[in-house]
Amino acid sequence: MDQATLADLIDGKLPWHQLKEVLSGNKDIARFDLYIEVLQSRVSFKETILLPLGEHLYVVVDASGRRIVKCDCGYEFGPVERNWKCASAVLVRDSDELLEEIYDPWNRCDPSWEELREFYCPGCWSLLEVEAAPPGYPVMFDFQPDIDTFYQEYLGRPVPRS
Amino acid sequence: MPQHTGTPVILALDAGGTMTDAFVVDDTGSFTIGKAQTTPHDESLGVVESFRDALHYWDVTAEQAGPHLRAVVYSGTSMLNRLLERTSDERIGVIVTAGMEDYLQLERSVQTYAGYAYSDRLHVVTHIHNEPLVPRARIKGVRGRVSFFGEEVLPLYADEAKEAVNSLLDQSVTAIVVSLLYSYRDPSHEQEVAKIAAEVMASRGVDIPVIVSSTSTPVRGDLARLNTLLVEVYAARPSRRQLQAVGERLHSELDSTAAVRVLTSYGGTVSPDHESLVSTLVSGPIGGILGARRLAELYETSNVICSDVGGTSFDVGLISERQVATRTEPTVARFLLAIPTIAMDSIGAGTGTRVRVDPAVRRVTLGPDSAGSRLGMSWEPGGESVPSITDCDLVLGYLNPDYFLGGSVDLDPDRARKAILEQLAKPLGSSNVEETALGVVRLLETEMRDHLMGMILGMGYAPENYQMFAYGGGGPLHAAGYVGSLEFQAVRVPSWAAAFSAFGCACADYTYRYDRSVDILVPPAGSREQVLGLLRQTWSELEQRILADAARDGIDPKEVNIVPSVRMQYFGMLDDLEVQVSSQSGDAEQVIAQMMVDFDSLFEKIFARAAKSPESGYFLTKAIAVGTYPTEKPVIPEFVLGSKTPSSSAEKSSRKVFEGSWREARIYEMDELTSGNVIAGPAVVEAPATTFYVPTGYQATLDRFRVFELTRS
Repeated sequence: MDQATLADLIDGKLPWHQLKEVLSGNKDIARFDLYIEVLQSRVSFKETILLPLGEHLYVVVDASGRRIVKCDCGYEFGPVERNWKCASAVLVRDSDELLEEIYDPWNRCDPSWEELREFYCPGCWSLLEVEAAPPGYPVMFDFQPDIDTFYQEYLGRPVPRS
Repeated sequence: MPQHTGTPVILALDAGGTMTDAFVVDDTGSFTIGKAQTTPHDESLGVVESFRDALHYWDVTAEQAGPHLRAVVYSGTSMLNRLLERTSDERIGVIVTAGMEDYLQLERSVQTYAGYAYSDRLHVVTHIHNEPLVPRARIKGVRGRVSFFGEEVLPLYADEAKEAVNSLLDQSVTAIVVSLLYSYRDPSHEQEVAKIAAEVMASRGVDIPVIVSSTSTPVRGDLARLNTLLVEVYAARPSRRQLQAVGERLHSELDSTAAVRVLTSYGGTVSPDHESLVSTLVSGPIGGILGARRLAELYETSNVICSDVGGTSFDVGLISERQVATRTEPTVARFLLAIPTIAMDSIGAGTGTRVRVDPAVRRVTLGPDSAGSRLGMSWEPGGESVPSITDCDLVLGYLNPDYFLGGSVDLDPDRARKAILEQLAKPLGSSNVEETALGVVRLLETEMRDHLMGMILGMGYAPENYQMFAYGGGGPLHAAGYVGSLEFQAVRVPSWAAAFSAFGCACADYTYRYDRSVDILVPPAGSREQVLGLLRQTWSELEQRILADAARDGIDPKEVNIVPSVRMQYFGMLDDLEVQVSSQSGDAEQVIAQMMVDFDSLFEKIFARAAKSPESGYFLTKAIAVGTYPTEKPVIPEFVLGSKTPSSSAEKSSRKVFEGSWREARIYEMDELTSGNVIAGPAVVEAPATTFYVPTGYQATLDRFRVFELTRS
């Protein structure tokens, strides 16, 4: 797959017959590097992307070799080992009024049982993630990627140091 | 080539998207094959060219041959292509029962993955809705309801029907299709809509066809029924003119008087004037089964498994007790259609199948896509970038690079070797091209064998009771491989394997088939008078249609043999089976009792004796009538058995073939072999259109009909 096709795939612009080919085709090991290349060309920062972490979010390696989470606007959330959500701006919808801003009254949850937590980037105010949890439940840590193993054993090369 | 003496009498045509093949048979049973480019704007031009091309091998001109033609059978893909590419000019308007207007948006889930490979069927992410043949704005709902029992629950709202017709005419539709719920039980609402449509059109001075489901497709299953009407109008009818033009050109240019007939998916032929042309939409692999049925008569065998290896698929069909199973709701081009179709099961494995290695798990994957007419890497002009099965057959020495399609296509073994080395062997950690190619071919043949076993054992049959016929361009090449350890009664490879489907088309009779849903419950006990009365009434309606068709096509109604049958099930069963009504003599009790006995024995064969459940009675889903009128068929000439040793002129040379190690194989020219000759493997028998490979440990005997019988030596 070439870069232009992959860029269309990321943007959701690939025509169905081509998308179907990708969905049904074999896994292509070289595609990860190509994917990173496209992502890298689209962000405003210079640090090397190690792994995309979700919409707008990336794990990057900074000048001092630390692995940190960054938004595509450049905002830094801190080291990858810590939950990036703790460094984000949060809106908790835990009342009828707040829930009914986005749901019809007969479609929303009961806020005494469940609340919605929206995590925003303090740099660009993009919505990064939403979680639904019972009130009082700790902020969820989505996952901790094993970057070293992924690079060494799947891609077969060392993790970039800078 | 020997001097040709016969008179050409049969012309069978297969018009594909790019090429039109002509198969010409003479009165002695000899045949010749021609090719010409398909001419979509006027198919009759390509047909005549193809006919000329076939005849030039016999040094006969089309003008000389034309007046002697007695039968012309056509099958083609133009209707299917029109449907697949959505290129019809028809603007259809649809009237359905109010509340059901979203048929084409909702579909049935099977239509969102029909035709997919197994892995894609499992993964919902690849499922997708089809582009509707008719946009939502041209589908109108009209209130009114007939129940499943044929009772009017809600009268038809006539003013809504009028409004719907007006609205569709405002949108300049070219045809109106009417399909209301349960109209096959009571057609009165549909007839009322048709009447209103006629009145509105008359008042507006418009005249377009109105197609009503209860007349053309009176069967249960409303999506398939609607689809059938839509496909008929959208894709099939626009070809009628083209099909008629074929006959007209053969008549005006070549002085032929033979009627042109079109092959149907249920295995007969109809004239281009037939009302329901949608039944001719798919007929591709059907020809082979008809050919096999003809051959089975010669061998006086009643059980045959037919295997057709083409460029893109491996098609398997069964003839059991001389009967070919019919399905009533096939999916064609991702549409569920209510058209009876000969049951064939296909997998995407043919000689053009592309071979790849999955880089993530280092496993060989076959297809499901195919190089088709682009053959593979060994044919540079094809522009392929992935090796195919043909490439593997070539490096193994089974195919002759200088004699592919009689030498008209030059294959380059070095390109094939390079592609197999780079794309298959190396990723698998090997540098041995032949070992890799052999592994790929064995994998393909194993997939084919699994498919065969699934078809036979899955139905509860045993290979020991079946003869296997192998045909198609690639059948003779892989037959020994895919039969493998399966113990068939006999394995037969016709010497005309490549043209076997066309041969089968030429064997098709005039056949008119009509189905109608009846939904009659036959309780375990009680009077059978009413049941048989209803059946007889339906059969006689269907018979009238058959006789009208015959009259239209200039056939004496007395010559038409009409066989009534039913589709039935145990009450509560999901599937139904087709049972021919062997005798209508005797009283109602006897006739119905015989139907039950016949159904029970068919059920036992297909399912299991223990699963029979007649306790709650039987259910008759459909009444069917099939009318056949025999037509001119190719003669299969019979030769005297001669010497076991092939003549010296038949053995051309020798070549190394790879079967795990290199062996010296004798190479024969198929045309030079005579009946009685025995070929011991390893050997390759070459003909312009096909290659027959006899591996070590096998032998092939050419019998009196010029069919090879493959046996273990």
